[in-house]
Amino acid sequence: MIVAVTDAGPLIHLGEIDSLELPEVIDELVVPESVRRELEAGGAPGGFDDRSVEVATAGGDESWVEAGLDAGEAAALAVAADRDAILLTDDLAARDAATETGVEVHGSIGIIALASGRGGLTEDEAAQLMRSLQTDTSLFVTDAVVEHGIEILREDSDG
Amino acid sequence: MAADLTERVQEIAEARGVPESEVFEQALERGVEDMWLDLTTTRYLNGELSRSEAVESVGEERLRRAEREAEAVEEDVRWGSTA
Repeated sequence: MIVAVTDAGPLIHLGEIDSLELPEVIDELVVPESVRRELEAGGAPGGFDDRSVEVATAGGDESWVEAGLDAGEAAALAVAADRDAILLTDDLAARDAATETGVEVHGSIGIIALASGRGGLTEDEAAQLMRSLQTDTSLFVTDAVVEHGIEILREDSDG
Repeated sequence: MAADLTERVQEIAEARGVPESEVFEQALERGVEDMWLDLTTTRYLNGELSRSEAVESVGEERLRRAEREAEAVEEDVRWGSTA
């Protein structure tokens, strides 16, 4: 049973490649209230349906905000820590803060890999979506790193 | 896309007060720089370059960022494949 709390990043990036149904592979997905407001203010990505997720209220640790996390990232990390859940974020600073707090953390690429691992996507579909994340979205990741991830995905699938 | 590019080059040139040829030259330099970073990172991640060679090629800060990205992507893919 995977319980995860997401900030806005993965929902925005997956929305940009028309794959907002992929987070449904998470058994229980929680969206902090501040993240939901952030999504609404920015124009929620097409397909985002907040009826399918639990909306939670939490404030973030002020030190996380001082470390460069935005309010949504800090709130998502606070809820994840409180519930012993996984944090979903595409922000490297938020990943570091989660690791320091002892919270397991993954991002959009993890959601795609999970959908593939659970049979919701073929290996080729997952590889294509990973490439689209790099070329068609605002997620900053280099081409070489995405190809490295695809190589690992194929190795794990074959292994 | 070509029309977009032309319009953007014109607008950038006007805003900076430089000839369009200079905008093209800078764009080419930036594009090649990005592609060089990709190539170096690929070679480093594939074990074809040592870390010191990669640092010499793209700089410590950019290589560290690429390493951090690669680590995150690897963690994500391993998790997704096994969870």
